[in-house]
Parts: sequence; structure tokens; C-alpha cells
Amino acid sequence: MITEKQPIKFVRIELLKIWINPIFRRYCQSRLRFRGLGLALLVSLLISGFIFFISRAIGLDRMHASVSDAARGAIIPLFIFQALILFVLGTAQVSGGMTAETDEGVIVYQRLIPMRPISKVLGYLFGLPIREYAMFFVTLPFTICALWQGMVSPSVWVPLYVVFFSSSLTYHLTGLVTGTVVKNRRWAFLISIGLVFCLYTIVPQMARFGLVFFKYLTITPVFQESLSGILPTAAGAIVATGQNLAPEAKFFNLGFPEAVFTIFCQGGLILTFITMLCRRWSKAEFLLLGKVWATCVFAFVQILLLGNAIPLIDSGNIFPSREISKLILESTGWVPKASEAVAMSGVYGLVTLLLLFMLTRIITPSTDNQIREWRRVRKLGGSALPVLADASSAFGWIIVMALLGASGWYIFTQSLVESRWFSGHDVSLTVLMIFILVMISSGMAFHALLETKGGRALGMAIIFIGIVPLMVGVVLSTSNDRLIPAAVWIVGISPISAPVYASASLLSISELPLNLARSVPRAFCFWQLVSLFVSFYLVAQLRRSRKIIAKNALPKPP
Amino acid sequence: MTATPGIDIRYVRVDYGNFIAVDDLTLSVPQGEILGLAGPNGAGKTSTFRVLATLMEPTYGEVILGGIDVQEDVETARQIIGYMPDLAPVPSDLKVGEFLEFYAAAYGLGNRTQRRDRVAECLEEVALTAVRDRWCKELSRGQTQRVVLAKTLLHRPSVLILDEPASGLDPLARRDLRQALRKLADHGATVLVSSHILSELAEMCTSLCVMNQGKLLASGTIDQVREQLDRDERMLTIRLLDRHHDAVAWLTTQDSVHDIRVSEQVIHLRFVGSDNDQANLIEILIKRGIRMLSFEEKRSSFEEMLVEVAEANCQL
Repeated sequence: MITEKQPIKFVRIELLKIWINPIFRRYCQSRLRFRGLGLALLVSLLISGFIFFISRAIGLDRMHASVSDAARGAIIPLFIFQALILFVLGTAQVSGGMTAETDEGVIVYQRLIPMRPISKVLGYLFGLPIREYAMFFVTLPFTICALWQGMVSPSVWVPLYVVFFSSSLTYHLTGLVTGTVVKNRRWAFLISIGLVFCLYTIVPQMARFGLVFFKYLTITPVFQESLSGILPTAAGAIVATGQNLAPEAKFFNLGFPEAVFTIFCQGGLILTFITMLCRRWSKAEFLLLGKVWATCVFAFVQILLLGNAIPLIDSGNIFPSREISKLILESTGWVPKASEAVAMSGVYGLVTLLLLFMLTRIITPSTDNQIREWRRVRKLGGSALPVLADASSAFGWIIVMALLGASGWYIFTQSLVESRWFSGHDVSLTVLMIFILVMISSGMAFHALLETKGGRALGMAIIFIGIVPLMVGVVLSTSNDRLIPAAVWIVGISPISAPVYASASLLSISELPLNLARSVPRAFCFWQLVSLFVSFYLVAQLRRSRKIIAKNALPKPP
Repeated sequence: MTATPGIDIRYVRVDYGNFIAVDDLTLSVPQGEILGLAGPNGAGKTSTFRVLATLMEPTYGEVILGGIDVQEDVETARQIIGYMPDLAPVPSDLKVGEFLEFYAAAYGLGNRTQRRDRVAECLEEVALTAVRDRWCKELSRGQTQRVVLAKTLLHRPSVLILDEPASGLDPLARRDLRQALRKLADHGATVLVSSHILSELAEMCTSLCVMNQGKLLASGTIDQVREQLDRDERMLTIRLLDRHHDAVAWLTTQDSVHDIRVSEQVIHLRFVGSDNDQANLIEILIKRGIRMLSFEEKRSSFEEMLVEVAEANCQL
């Protein structure tokens, strides 16, 4: 009978034995049933078999290539097919499955299971896409055959597949986080797939503007590095010649193999995602990241951005026009344009500001969080919130991140402007002060508005202060040249424009056209002043609101 | 020395923004007791249950289950809690046995054989041994509820929190559930059951409490709750032999009498007052020479009381 016996003793599930993880096994049971799996495996087998044999037939019979070259012809199509399976289908399955679990209340329910959050994360991470892993494994015999016959060195394919696996984990974790945070199943699916799509389309464009770090979130650098080793001999030789220019990932004065650096970057992201999930699954009220972790993530990204970008300045490889000049074989006599450097500085500032906003959103406590924590502190006889508690003020941490961001932005700008390409120019400390002002005023306003007025008010502010002025400005400037100064003033309302305006106004290399030369600096100064006043006002409101919460949050209801 | 209560709720309040879902709830349930928590939709039952199940932190107040403060030691508290939510999720892609074995494994209950045995025990407890190999999606609402109950019992919790466990159950299954809960309580488990149907709770619980709009309106044994909820209001039907005009004329002057309706020699009225007042009313009518053929009293049922209380609170 049920309670005749003593309460059951719970046994901890061993973390690394994934095959006994109940969540993993649960998905193995449901997703590896013959009925659903059979068709998926058959399709994978047919497609990968078709790719292998058609590539081989074309190589051997039509192009009269060697067995080795013919086999190599199949490697890239097979790799793309595998990427589709794990990157696209796998990520979609993870985010969709996770949202379904959240939607149906299973996640909430499973919070009661005495499994460690990390075990739950691993169970879902490997369990949800288990069918996609099975599909991937079905393609492996053909890949192994192609690699074997193509005599591809393990030093080429091992790093490629290690990064392939770490990229899969990164994208699947993106799907898990999206599925956990986003309530709507369709949105979670679209966002996670959209993120993967952006990584391979938009993010590489950011890399062209000096933010090289972002390309290491994809498999692209390692794939490009491996190309010479997996392409047929003649094509591989051509690629190898081009690769000699940039054989490794530069990080400050160090050089790393692309694979090692990619794993390092993705590892940081994987750890952050796992932390987010563990926190959220151990307690629903927990913020996604703690304050220290968020600040470390911010610093980590800044260091990676700078570490990757600065070594490329002297060679000129960081400038977008350099890439174009290489394509049209006009590298002799090439010099970067000053406007490129100004734009790159602005983009760096903008990305830093957006990252600051994102992390501020994550670490800003809600009123309910504060009331609960105050109640607990009072119950335990305390008089102040613990510094690192989720409910304590994030203000100081945001200032620290703003300072880090402004410093990173300044270092990047200084390295660009004071490089050999723009001799005679320098970036004064005043610029650093103004960069700090931009970061702090925007960060403070964002944080104070979110904490005092809530997410809805912040959302409205983002739309009407952050986005609408940009849209109006773009429409005005496009419709008539005479309206450009007015458009500049309107666009200046948006804090998103502040980093670009700052770089354009403050840098000595900036060569703004006549119609912008007066309006951009003036609009920047005016709106920064406004932004500063608004920030101070909101921070005053924030202080008042926190005091009221602290005063009213008694151990018993008032 | 008094025994530790199974469930001890002190000054709990739950806020969703500006909305107060549970307001200053204080409640203590001794071990081995089955407490029914009743109230209309939106009374705050589910929020209370979610707080008890450690799925949500209260804005204020504390919850102590079997001597464990759930906010301070959530992991230990979770080991003694068995929570069955309203409309509990069951995966459509698993069979009943697989679903239960998954949870048994997740709770770390012994080896595979032991887990299978425990699953069989729990299925037997809810009289569902026959559905072990059926898909969860093929179960009826009542069967699903019982499967989830079996899942809730897997780790032998000492505090059971069951949100609307009887909804969707047929009378036979309700009887089985009642017996199962009694058995659990007899063995020392503290059971908290919610329902918006008071009569259903009255059947299976040893004590009751009623919530509305986040507040506790009444608590105690079934009779005590009836007494607390009873607003001394009843419908009276008086059949007279004659002089009904005189009777009506006098009744209309009485403060305790409302809504008088007359059809032939029968008077229907709503009486608000104590049993003593009602006895006085009859006595005076007789003393005034009004001859009665019959006198009938109809009191509100539990459900009607709940509706009345809910409506009265809404009007406040």
C-alpha cells in the first residue's frame, strides 16, 4: 500500500551518464519509435546515398577524375545535408518541443522532480533532437566512405566535425532558451530558426564591419579553413593559396587554429545558455542570469570583439572595402576610407549598446522579486538585500557594463583612427568621456524605465522613442534632400542612433557631407543632454520606487 | 508537545501585479487529515496550490510542509510533496506505463524492476492496471486524472496537493478516489483537495475551508463551515386553512420576512433570522388565531450557499 512503507529515498541521477537520464530516455522512447523514425531514416539514407553516388558518378564517369577527387566531390553536399538535419531540423525540434512542454505545463510540473537542473538541461538537449541525431548517423557511412576514399586527413575533418557538433549544441541551446522564454510555440520556432538563419546571413555582414567575433558563432571559419582539404585536389589548391593570407584566428597578439577559437567562443555561449536554463528551471522567479555572470558575459564579448578586431587593423583586413578590393583584384594602392572607420566605430558602439540593453533586460528585477526578497530578508532579521541577489539593484552593475562597453568602444575607435591608415589623427580622452556618457545615459534610462514602469512601458518606449524616429527620419531623408537636416534631428531622438552620431561628431577623421556637418553634432549634443536629464529623472523615480518597496515589504501583508 | 502540522500556511499573499489572488491566508492542517478547499473560479485556490507545491513563491507569508519551510529548503520540501494540477499534462507520445516509469526514474526510485513494481502498485491503487500499455492520448478524462494521481503517488509523498482531482470522474471512480484518499490519510499523509463543488468535497474530506476572491471565508468541520456560511436565510412555505389576508398583513410588517408571494391559501416567503426567530414567528401566527395546515422550511444547499457568498462578495 502506498504509505505503509517509509518515504522513498531519492537517488541522484548521474550527470554524465546521459543514457540513464530519464528525460533523455523518455525522448528516446517517444521519438525513436519505428513508425516515425523509419521514414525519417529512410529519407536520410536515400538522400545521402543519392548525394554520394551521384557525386562519385559525375566525378569518375563524366569528369574522369581520380577516385579520390570523385569521393571528395561528395563531402561538401553531404556536409550541407547534415547541417540541414542538425542545425535546422534539430533546432526547430528543440525549440518547438520545448515550447510545447512549456505550453502544456510539463516544464512547470517537472520542476518538482528532484533531478538537478543541469541533468534536465542535458536530458532535453540530447533527447529532444534524438531523431535528428539518428538521421545524422545514417548519413555517416557515406561521409566516412567519402572521407576514406578521398584520403582526407583527420587533421582536416576532425576539427570540422568537432565544430559542427559544438555549433549544433549552440543552436540547440538557443532553441531551448527560446522555447523556455517565449510563451508562444510558433514564435519560439520562428525566432530560433530566425536566429540560426541570421547567424549565416546577417552576422557575417557584421564581421565585415570589424565585429569579427560574431563569425565564430558559426561553422563558417572552420569550414573555410577546411575547404582546401576536402575539395577535389585542383580546387583545393586554389583555395589553399587564398587561405595563406589568413591561416589562423587572431586574438590580440596570439594566433589560434580557427577550430580552437570557434570552440572557445561557442563554449562561452554554451555555458551562458546552460546557466540561463538551470536558473530558470530551478526556480521560476529567478532571472535568466545573475549580475556577476551577466557582467562577465559583457566583458567576455568585449574582449573577444577587441581581440579579434585589433590585429586585423594594420593589415587592413578589418575594412569592408579591403574585401571588395581583393575580389576585383585591385589590392595595390588600396587605402581605407575615413568614412568606413567612422561607420565601423559607430557600429561597434551600437552593438555594444544593444548588448548592454539585452543584459540590462535580463538582470533588472521585477517589483514582485523585490518584495519577496525584502520579506525574506526581514524574516531572517536582515536590513538590506544581499548585493548579488536577483532582487537587489542592478544599477551598479549596469554602470560597470556601461563603463566596460564605452572603454571597449573607445579602444576600438582609437585603434582604428590612430592606425597607420589615418596618420596624424588621434582620439582624445574627451571622446572616451562622451562615449561613457552615451552608454551610461542610455543604459540608466533603459534600466530605470524597466524597473519602475515595467516591460510594457519599456516596449512602448522602444517603439516610439527607439524605432519610430528612425523610420520617420529615413522616410524624410529619402523623400527630399532639403529635409535631411530635419531627418537628422528626428533620428537623433532614438538612443540607437547615439553611437553612430557620436562617432560621426567626435572623430577627427569624420568627413560628413555639408548638409550633415552642422546638424549631426548639434542634434547629437542636444539629444544627449535631453537623454541625460531624462535618465536622471528616471533614476530618481527608481530610487523612490525602491525605497517605497523596501518600506512596504513587511514580513506580513500590510 | 503538539504534533507538527502537515500543512502550515501563515499570512500568505499572492500578487499578480496589482491583482491580489490570495489575501492573507492562514491555515493549518494536521497530519492525517483531508482538507477540502472550495471556492468559485478565481477564488485563489490554484494560486494557493501552486505556492504549496513550490511552483510559485508567495509575495508575503510562509508555507511550512511537514516542518519544512518551502522557501528556505525547496529541494527537501519537494521530496515530500505530491502535486496533481488541474488539467494535468500527460504526453500524447507515451504509453501509460512509459509515462509512469519516466517519472519513477526521474524521482530516482530504485532499479528498473523496483520502478516497474512501484508503477504497478500505483496503477492498482487507482484501478487502472488494464491501461498500462495504452497510449496516454487514448485515455478518457477520468482515466487521465487517475493516471496523473498514480504518478503523484509514485514517490509516496506525505503531503498531497490535489487540484480538482475528481473532475471528470464517474461516480464509481469518485468512490475509488475517496477510498484511496482515506487510506492515504489513515497512513499519516496530509491531503489538500480542491474543488468548486462543495458537496463533492463534503463526501471525501474530514474538514473544509471556503475561499472567495483570495480570502478565507470559512473553515473547520463540515458542520462548522455550514454554520459559518449559513446566512440564517431560508425559504418558508405556509399552507393556511383560512385568513390568509390577515396573515400576509401581519407578515409584511415583520423585518425578518421578505419576498412574500401568495397563491390561494399558500404563502411563500424568504425568512432571514435565527431558528429562535423562526419559532417565534410560528408561535405568534398561531396566537393570532391563524390556522395552519402545514409549515415547510427549505435551507440553501452547500452549493447555493457558495453562490450566495460569492455573489454577496461581488456586490461589496
